[in-house]
Amino acid sequence: MDFVILSMVLLAIGVYGLLTQRHLVKVFISIELIATAATLNFVMLSSQASREASQAFLILAFSTDTAVSAVILALLVIVSKKYGTSDISKVVKEEETKPEAESNAVN
Amino acid sequence: MIIELVGAGLVISACLAIFFDEAVYSVAALASTLILTALLYGLNGAVYVAVFQFAVAVGTLSILFLSGEMLSEKPKNKTSPRKAVLVLAMGAALSVPMVIFSISSPNDVNVEASFGQALWNLRAVDVVLQGLVVLTVTLGIGIVLFKRKRSSQKLGDKD
Repeated sequence: MDFVILSMVLLAIGVYGLLTQRHLVKVFISIELIATAATLNFVMLSSQASREASQAFLILAFSTDTAVSAVILALLVIVSKKYGTSDISKVVKEEETKPEAESNAVN
Repeated sequence: MIIELVGAGLVISACLAIFFDEAVYSVAALASTLILTALLYGLNGAVYVAVFQFAVAVGTLSILFLSGEMLSEKPKNKTSPRKAVLVLAMGAALSVPMVIFSISSPNDVNVEASFGQALWNLRAVDVVLQGLVVLTVTLGIGIVLFKRKRSSQKLGDKD
């Protein structure tokens, strides 16, 4: 089995989800899939080259990835509480209509 | 054979994570993707990474995802069984190339080689492809920003 092709397929699925999905959780999942594809590639490179030390650096990458995911999840919770929806298009529409409503109120 | 099955399951669960309409099912599919990734690492000798992936990614992320999902709204439409079967078939079709084709060269592995040499000998194709992807994304962002600036300038001239 070829791990380069596997990671490429995972990357393609993640990018497709990032471009097409509107739900914030799905966008988050797509980002996670892209990160998994990248890490899979590096882990397989290190295991093929029989370098144990490189796996230690990948563990550091996992920790960073988890911290980033926690921050993104916190932002997701804030956005869904503020706007009452998890749909990106609705959030963008609401943000676009806000300045118009404000300028109408001023006039 | 087991590694191929795990890889196919990985692709299928990734497809399900993207295409499920309910976010809870997507989260469950993502959790299975991460479990299968940990299994794949373990089967290929990267045991420490597998344990860490299993402990950190699966546990923490799944709990975080589920708690986040509880705060978000529920979708109106549900995934039909027909769509689920179609996604399964698509995932199975996508996992065929990794079993049949091969673009890496594990026989050329030189343990004494430097990291740069190993990267170039084993991963030249994907390094070049990643460079192309980054270049395309950079150009795309540049074009979008240029168009936006131009349209805002036009609006400014009209006002």
